[in-house]
Amino acid sequence: MRYIKLYFTCIKRSILSRLDYKHDAIISILSFLFSNACSLCALYFILQAIPTLKGYSIAEVGFFYGFSMLPIAIDHLFSDEFWLVAYRRVQLGDMDMHFLRPVPVIFQMFAQTFQPDGFGEVIVGIAMIIVCGINLHVTVSFGAIFVLVIGAVFGAIIITSFKIIFSALAFIFKRSGPLLQIIYNFTSYAKYPIAIYPKVIRIILIFVLPFGLFVSLPVDTLLYGTYNPYLLSLCIIGAAIVLFALAVLIWTRCERHYESTGS
Amino acid sequence: MIEVKSLTKVFKKPIRGKGVLGMIRTLFSRKYKEIRAVDDVSFDIKEGEIVGYIGSNGAGKSTTIKMMCGILTPTSGQVLIDGKEPYKKRRIVAKEIGVVFGQKTQLWWDIPLIESFKVLKEIYQVSDEDYKTRMEFLSTVLGIDEFLSQPVRTLSLGQRMRADLAASMLHNPKILFLDEPTIGMDVLVKEKIRLAIHALNAKYHTTVVLTTHDMADIEDLCSRIIMIEKGKIIYDGPLKAIKHRFGNIKTLTITVPANIDPLEVAPYSKDVDMSSKDDKVMLRFDADKVKLEDVVQYAFSSYHAIDMKITDISIEDVVKQILVQQEEAKHA
Repeated sequence: MRYIKLYFTCIKRSILSRLDYKHDAIISILSFLFSNACSLCALYFILQAIPTLKGYSIAEVGFFYGFSMLPIAIDHLFSDEFWLVAYRRVQLGDMDMHFLRPVPVIFQMFAQTFQPDGFGEVIVGIAMIIVCGINLHVTVSFGAIFVLVIGAVFGAIIITSFKIIFSALAFIFKRSGPLLQIIYNFTSYAKYPIAIYPKVIRIILIFVLPFGLFVSLPVDTLLYGTYNPYLLSLCIIGAAIVLFALAVLIWTRCERHYESTGS
Repeated sequence: MIEVKSLTKVFKKPIRGKGVLGMIRTLFSRKYKEIRAVDDVSFDIKEGEIVGYIGSNGAGKSTTIKMMCGILTPTSGQVLIDGKEPYKKRRIVAKEIGVVFGQKTQLWWDIPLIESFKVLKEIYQVSDEDYKTRMEFLSTVLGIDEFLSQPVRTLSLGQRMRADLAASMLHNPKILFLDEPTIGMDVLVKEKIRLAIHALNAKYHTTVVLTTHDMADIEDLCSRIIMIEKGKIIYDGPLKAIKHRFGNIKTLTITVPANIDPLEVAPYSKDVDMSSKDDKVMLRFDADKVKLEDVVQYAFSSYHAIDMKITDISIEDVVKQILVQQEEAKHA
């Protein structure tokens, strides 16, 4: 309870910081719109050239793409600070202030930044799902909606867990940004139905870096009824809990290796 | 209050080659150089003491302070803050200590100062009542109310330091660690900060450990000093004793005209130590033995000095002297 209150106090502070740089906020919104417009255009042109992708129509691919934005966006809302930890803050010895507070460092990382840019991605993602869903004449069932919501929320937790693990390595290697970037880039594989990939990559995307687990499989379930939605939800929730617990454990182990800079 | 027992911190640094090729070679070598930043350091600090922890650059001061705050884990040895090891019970100890690093702010960079305080109030669970009385006290002592609504990044160095000091006292810690609290500040601000530290110590009986390079800070604040050099303690005791040991050392630096060769001038006496560099001549002497007036007169009459400057003994000088004395004692 105390931490929930503290979280909101800190988030208020983070938003105040953002508002202090008005131009920066405007630029980040514009750049988000621009980069998403670009990637959508690119996707559209590719699909125009190749009318079907292993049998998937443009609306189907759009549906996958739109849905994949949701967990990524939710993660983006809450855990943007870990990028700074991996790339800069440990290397610059800039984490001292967090180690001096009587609150877990990992909690402070979540409370340090709230990234409202994520809302834009949520809106674009939902819009794409609706437009493509109508085009595909999806039959909406409770189970399918349920697994999509679980996929988005717990998928975000899975992405965040990987972010925590690979940014925690910065405590040992001083800078783990590039490594985190490589892992994070795998989320872009999740934007397409995993059926289009060779078997090895499919296995990686379900069991190793399970970004396919919470994007492709739920959408398959909704569109084609491939899996049992409740069983799949259970798998996603289980994976998320295990990974998050592991991430917190790794973080607290690595955090002890933090060395500040000389002065 | 603070117990430090044979505290040691060893940093392992890979031995680096020179140039790009050498750098690449380092990537594959396993040779490490061990740097003992803090080497078998022990001391006790009692409640309410103000202790100066001093030494030259890179002597190991900050490393020790960081281990006492719980940011760094020692290689061996132990720190006990009120009976608890800070690097193991970080969150519990954090409530009992306040820390100010002169070089880095602990405040949030881009929000008004008052908002930072409100967040800290929440983090340290300070009650409304305590918050109000402490803020009143801290505002009067440190004069922070004039810039409470400004974002921290717009504050001057002196203002920021006062703000940091106030922030570190908000939860009324038992111990205050100040790492170079007066670095880069003008005389007036230094004075204000010193007065504030005195006031805090008097009112809340706060134990203060501070590092500084400013002799005046130490004279004004510390009843006891611990001196560290190359990771080892070389002196621990009252300030008076050390001053007595070295006397009232002053250095008179003069600029001599080009036509005078400093080496050819007859020395004043063996009590004045002469050294020269380019057109500058440094005369070191004990002002309790030799009159300042006489040395100045000598400088002008013998060297035809065109400019002069008088400086008191610096911490680096004291350290050097102690080391020389220890070396002599060893040989004797």
